[in-house]
This record gives sequence, C-alpha cells and structure tokens, in this order.
Amino acid sequence: MRATVDKFDMQNFIQELGEVNRKLIKGTETLTGIDEIDVGTAPKELVYEEDKLKLYHYKQEGSVTCRTPVLIVYALVNRQYMLDIQPDRSIVRNLLQRGMDLYIIDWGYPTKADMYLTLDDYISGYLDNCVDVIRKRATQEKINLMGICQGGTFCGIYSSLYPEKVANLVTLVAPFDFSTNDGLLFSWSRHMNVDALVDTYRVIPGDFLNSGFLMLMPYTLNIRKYVDMLNVVEDKEKLLNFLRMEKWIFDSPGQAGECFRQFLKDCYQDNKLAKGELKIGDRVVDLKNITMPLLNIYASADHLVPPAASKPLNDLVGSEDKTLYEFKGGHIGVFVGSKSQKELAPTISKWLHDRTQDQTTKKIVETNAIPAKAKSKGVRKAAGKNNR
Amino acid sequence: MESSKNYFDNWLKSQELAFGTLTEMTQKFQQALQGFGGSSGAMQGFGGFQELYTSWTTSVLNAMQNSGNADIPFVKELLGKTLTGSNAYLKLYEIWTLFSKTIQDSVASPDFYKTMSDPAKYKEILDRIFGFDPTATFRITEQALKLFETLAGSSQGFTKTWMDASDKTLKSFPHMMGGHPEEFMKIFHTLFSAFDSTAGRAFHVPAVGKDREKIELVLRSLDDLSVYLARKTEYEHMMYVTGIGAFEKVIATVADKVSKGEEVKRFDEFFDVWIDVNENTYYTLFQTEDFSKKQGALLDAAVNVRQHFFKLMELYLFDFPIVVRSEMDDLYKTVYDLKRKVRNLEKQIEEVRA
Repeated sequence: MRATVDKFDMQNFIQELGEVNRKLIKGTETLTGIDEIDVGTAPKELVYEEDKLKLYHYKQEGSVTCRTPVLIVYALVNRQYMLDIQPDRSIVRNLLQRGMDLYIIDWGYPTKADMYLTLDDYISGYLDNCVDVIRKRATQEKINLMGICQGGTFCGIYSSLYPEKVANLVTLVAPFDFSTNDGLLFSWSRHMNVDALVDTYRVIPGDFLNSGFLMLMPYTLNIRKYVDMLNVVEDKEKLLNFLRMEKWIFDSPGQAGECFRQFLKDCYQDNKLAKGELKIGDRVVDLKNITMPLLNIYASADHLVPPAASKPLNDLVGSEDKTLYEFKGGHIGVFVGSKSQKELAPTISKWLHDRTQDQTTKKIVETNAIPAKAKSKGVRKAAGKNNR
Repeated sequence: MESSKNYFDNWLKSQELAFGTLTEMTQKFQQALQGFGGSSGAMQGFGGFQELYTSWTTSVLNAMQNSGNADIPFVKELLGKTLTGSNAYLKLYEIWTLFSKTIQDSVASPDFYKTMSDPAKYKEILDRIFGFDPTATFRITEQALKLFETLAGSSQGFTKTWMDASDKTLKSFPHMMGGHPEEFMKIFHTLFSAFDSTAGRAFHVPAVGKDREKIELVLRSLDDLSVYLARKTEYEHMMYVTGIGAFEKVIATVADKVSKGEEVKRFDEFFDVWIDVNENTYYTLFQTEDFSKKQGALLDAAVNVRQHFFKLMELYLFDFPIVVRSEMDDLYKTVYDLKRKVRNLEKQIEEVRA
C-alpha cells in the first residue's frame, strides 16, 4: 500500500525545533528567576519532638467546630507537606477552614543512627507518644486519627492496639491486604531479598525507593514529564506548581532498616496484617479490635496502593459504623487534585463532625455530603472524571 | 631496624595501593549500580545528535546551571533533568526525521520503516531511560582484576584469562551497541567461562598466609561479581528485547495511520504514540512474574557484591586509627537499646504518677 503525504512540509521540523528552543530558553529564564519553592506554608507550631520526629499543631484562625483533635499521620516514604503543598491545593487548609483542630507528624530523615528502629518503635513508641501529647493538650481521652498511605496502615495497627485512645479512624489510600497482584510494587516486592538489602544499607536510601517508583512508568516519568513541563515554563505560577510537586517527589527520606525489613516481609511478602498474624513488639495485631467509626477512602485509579489493597479493611475491622469511600482518581490526586479539595476535605470534615459529640453549632457548608453514620459497607462513588 | 622500617614502609605502601584500588573499584561500582533501576544514572547527557543545536542548548542550560539562582541545589538538579530530558526528546526527533522523510515519498510498510531506524541510536535512548551504562560492567571487571593482582600477585596466572576474556568482550562491544541484544548473552558466557576456569576455581581452594581473610573476601567478591554480571546481562537483555519490540509496534502504529490516510505531520504526534506504546509494552512486561524474579535476582546480586566490598573495606580500614562501620553499628545499637529503656521507664513513671 502506498501513501503519499501531500501536505508534508519540512518547515514543520524547523518550526517545532524553534518552538522547543524558545521554550527551553524561556524555561531556564523562569527557573533561574525562582528564589524559593515554598511548600507546607500553613502556620503551625512545634509542640513535641523526639529524636527526629516533630509534632506540629496547626494554627486555627477561625473557630474550632470539631473539638476532638485530628492527628494526621503520613507515610515514612516522602514528606507530609504534600497535604499542604500550596495554599490553593491544601487539604490541611481546607480542613482548618472547616473548623478542624489539626496536628501532623513529621517523621524526619532517618540516618544510620536510626537503623534499628522497628515498626514497634514507630507505632507503640513515636505515634503513641504523639497521641498522648495531644490527648493531654486537649484534655480528652480519645482523639481522631487520619492516616495516609503507609501512615494509614500505621493508624490501623495503632487503633487495633490502643482502641481506647482513638475516637474515629480515617484512612486514605492505605494498604491493608497485601495479597493483591494489582499493583506492581506489590508483585515486585515479593521477589526482593529484603534481608540482604537491609543488611547492606542499614538505612534504605530514598533514591533507591524513588528508582522503584520511576520504574512504574519509566517513559512518562523520565521523559514525558519534562517535555510537558516545557508547555508551562512561561507561566511562573504553573511552573511553581510543577516544581513543588517535583520537589516533593524527590524529597524522599531513607527508611530505617529494621522497620523497612518488617514492613516489607510481614506485610508485602507474607500479608500478616490481613491474616491477623502481625506482631508489634510482643502484641499480635487483630484488626477486629478496631471498633471505633471508620472512614476508609481509596482511589479508583491508584497505581501505588490499588483499591484491592485498601478496600478489604472494612471487612477486617470490628467497627459497626464504617464507610468505604471511592475517590475517582489516582494516589496523588487524593491530596492535591482540585477535585480532592472540593470533594474529599468536605467529606472528611462532615464525617468527623457528625461523629464528634461536643461540636459547636457553627454551620458547616458541605458539598458532596455523605449520609451521617452510614452503617453499610456500600461504596459511595464520587462524581467527576479521573483526577490522575 | 632499617630492614624492619623498610618492611613496614613496604607493608604500608602495599596497603595503600590495595586500598586505593579498592576505593577506585568501589567508586566505579557505585557509578555502575547508580544506573540500576533508574533515577540517578537515567538522565545523564546524550550528545552526538543534531550536534550544533544540542550543543547550543546544552551550553545555554549548563551556563544557567552554573550561575545565578541555579545555586539552589533543587533548581540545579531540575535544570539537569530538563537538559537531559530535552536531549532524549531531540534524540527521538532524529529518528522521527527519518520516518518523516519516508512518509513523504515512500511506502507505508512497517518492514520498510524498520530499515530506516538505527538500532544503535535507539539503544542509547533505552540506556538513558533505564539508566544502563554498558561500559560499567567492564570497568568493574577491570578494577576487580587489578585488586586481585594487588593482593594475590599475577604469578598465579588467573588474571590473564580474564584479561583475554575482557578483550574479546570489548571487541564484540560495537556489535552489541549496534542493537544486537543477543550479544549480551555471548559476552556474559565469555566472561563467565573465564571466571570459572580461573578465579572461580581458586575460590574453592582455601587461601593461606597473612592476608588469607582478605584474599578469600576478594575471591568471594569476584564470585559475587560474576553472579551480578549474569543477572545484569539477563535483565538488560530482557529490557532491550522489550524495547525493540515496542519500537516495532510504534513503527507499525505509525505505518497503519499513514496507510489509512491519517497525517502524522508533527513530532508531538509521533512522540505521543511512542510514549504510549512503550509504556503499555513495558507495563505488560513488568506485570509478569518472570520480570519480578529477574529484577529481584539482580538486586540481590548487586547488594551481595556491595556487602562484600564493604567488608573488604573494613578489613583494610581496621589498620587505621578510625572507627569502622561495624563499630558504629554496635554504638548505634547500644544507644538504641538505652533509648528504649529510658522511654519505657518514663512511661512507667507517668503511669505511677497518674
């Protein structure tokens, strides 16, 4: 078959090259004119620190309408400021505006001095200490926990070990059933010699983990992303949005070896958490001990923590009041997408307000509200197109 | 007294030499391993394409990188990625140029387009994306041999066979660079046979003498290295074969569009097809258990080599008045245990107070 392209014009090449050229120059001009890539700017106060961990309390400029404080627990991988990446894409600011009293943990950057830290140290040590500090400050027996990704898994484990300290549990894109083959990280980790890796490095370098994340979509993340960046370089604000995300992606703390070893082997390889066989210190974790209200949010197009890893939590817990919520989007979209700001923050806020006894009467404007005390395992599907 | 001074001088020199070689080897190994799996080595400079244009943009970006606000490490890093990313883009552009000419005045047949592509150039793109450094393997081997010679002496005749094998390997290198992934397997067999008949044999013979422990560890490292090379070869072979298969699919897709009368005039359109087809093809590969196993085996082999290098370095450093890694590990463990005890005691006190 013969196909002649009559309209082919060699001038296209020159134009295209010239265009790329121009963008490169403009881009470098814009880039070098940027002094600082500001992230995590919501005002906050350091209220507790232990080793490398820091606990912050966000300043509430309005009135607190949900009196039970919420502790946000992010993953050990990457940094917690993703939740406040920029003022107009900040789940933190959004929740503050809705009357929440927020605390957040910054796990810090482990060094080799932290190589022996175990899951027990993180959960029954650091996390428990933070919870106690907040309980004391708020003079309350129980607080709300909101865990994201691996931080959600930690919160689930914590809530099963210390249910008497947790009023409500919110998990976002958190893995609990690791037996799935839906996510590449899950299948890849099964053939990883974790012992050799930890014994060699002691603290697993953040770059090593990043290499794994980049391999999930090597062409998009190594080339397309930077080529696409050229389309926004002339707009300083758009470029800053890109840069903030880029900064976050490569701001990856190392992982304390012993904790990494146990998390990978017991969870990713042996699925002990879902099987009820995971031991933290000398205690076996039974997710049925989670009896407080649960809001479990997963992302339908999550390629890091697939729905199949998150959704089973609702069947594993002992809670009567449990809600499974589907967010139409990807893992990162949950925190920074515009849909997330419009949909997720109001949902979480309303869900927590509804379950907090001592709230004030301030009217909370909600969108996409979900039924109070939804006791079914049914999935509420969010509207809108895929976020990522 | 003089003779003992000479002895110690010579001993110190030989230690310095061995340590220097070890350090160099570790550095090269470090460079080689950086590429594995992606990020650090993945986006290093291309070069050689659209020379004038590329060198111009390179110098502009380099100048930016080395001046003004680019002192901020993050901006500098991003400029580096932009620079190499744009080079990858331009590299693909050259291939596209060939296609476009073909589209302009030729037959829209996949087989015809296939002849237009340059596998060597295409392999460079794959190397950049996945962070492969084809020369790293040989640099490591060469350094390992130097270290072995320093420690055990060349009189044992082990190194000549390896050197011959490396020579053969280097001769087949241009062919491999020409887009013949099967050459990787040949290279591995040549090197492995050489290893098996020399250092591999020695590995099973107990070493004796003052440096017995060091020699055994070097031999073990060489053994680990041979396993690492095998795994790396297997892994890269799989990635190249997949990449070439994906590129054929790209060609077929473009040819199909042209045959249907659809225009693929702009490079962006070609680029989109190229990204999507490659991403899908590799995703299919990544989902297989075979890939997971090969990747896991490669990682395992890489950390084994690294682990034995670390031990070897410790053995050499032990003679110097500095703290070594295992000693620091002990210290960290003691501090860790003490902290735990303090934390538990504090909690107990809190409970008693409450």
